[in-house]
Amino acid sequence: MRKVFNFSLQDALFIGFCATLLVALKSMLRLKLGVAGHSMFLMTFFYLICYGVVGRVGSITACGFLSGLVAMMLSVGKGGPLILIKFGLPALAMDLSMMLFAGLLTLKWRCVVVGLVGCFAWAAKVWVENLLMGMTIQVALVQFGLSMLRGGAFTLLAALMVPPVLNRLRAHDLLFNEEIK
Amino acid sequence: MKTSGGRHCRNSVNGANTVIKSGKGIGWTATGLILALVLSSAAFFIATQYLFGLIICNLGLIIHGVYRRGDFWVIGRVFLAQLVITLSLYYLMHGKDQLLEGATVVLRVLMAFIPGWWLSVTCRPEKIGEVLTWILPAKWAFVIAASLSLLPTMTREVREIYQIQCLRGARITPKALKDPRNWSELIHCVIFPLLIQLLKLSKQTAMAAQLRHFGKHKKTTHWR
Repeated sequence: MRKVFNFSLQDALFIGFCATLLVALKSMLRLKLGVAGHSMFLMTFFYLICYGVVGRVGSITACGFLSGLVAMMLSVGKGGPLILIKFGLPALAMDLSMMLFAGLLTLKWRCVVVGLVGCFAWAAKVWVENLLMGMTIQVALVQFGLSMLRGGAFTLLAALMVPPVLNRLRAHDLLFNEEIK
Repeated sequence: MKTSGGRHCRNSVNGANTVIKSGKGIGWTATGLILALVLSSAAFFIATQYLFGLIICNLGLIIHGVYRRGDFWVIGRVFLAQLVITLSLYYLMHGKDQLLEGATVVLRVLMAFIPGWWLSVTCRPEKIGEVLTWILPAKWAFVIAASLSLLPTMTREVREIYQIQCLRGARITPKALKDPRNWSELIHCVIFPLLIQLLKLSKQTAMAAQLRHFGKHKKTTHWR
């Protein structure tokens, strides 16, 4: 486990900066669309950028848990220790699916699939929370479906934006990881 | 570059200075963090007959939070949104019979939310950060400290790029951003230059820390 998170200091700092920027943008922009799930847009985008730049399994999870810690410290979102799970769980799911799909699909489709897996984990977290709170299975399932639908749309939008950004970074000679294509 | 028992420690990497004072308030923050974790977890797991006790505890937190000038309306908004969505779904799927059960669920959601709100109102973020460094490895504690100390720089950078791009006519004003079709413009005009900046910044910060022998010794080093 230690080896998975044993990044070089530069990579670790980039992950930390991405996590902080994600939280800062979330609080600065305050996209008050009245639609739940828009937080999946920034989350998916920054997690996948982290993977694209660092190019190692574990980078998404590290970014997720760091975002949770920073959000907790800056009291962004609904605050409190449970925000760690909100940021961390989708990141963990995305990292695990990245291991599964590595080399199987093109970068664009990998981003989409991995993003949707993250969204599924996010919606599943809401579902489990609702069940633990005593909600009936039917109502919890409807809420899960709604979360998946709304979060999925935002995830798709963000995942499709990642490959062009990575290509532009590569064009500027800023990416040294040639494996991510 | 981690604080461990020192009274006054100073981190200085890449021009960013942070003075960390330990001592007063840390115990309170650690207790607050544990209390918030226990109370918000209890909202999920506690049996319904003990829910009244949890409500009393949370009422205490609300009173303390409001006394410390917390925004009570934040809780009100969460409560109303949950109440409308959950009760409408219960009414549509189960009729009037299980509305009370739905209300209990909403109450539990609120009980899970209140401790987090209270923690954010009563504890200063840097103190929470200091408590977290007790359990994190030195490298990640340094990463968090560096990210937080560079946050004002990053925020200023975001604001400047955002304002300049708005002046250039980019469709990224708050009104334009209500349309998700304009989000790609936000990514290309604001986030992309920022990512370049972050890559540069992480390289510089890492080099600055390594030149100060960061991570060379098994025992954590301090900059005093």
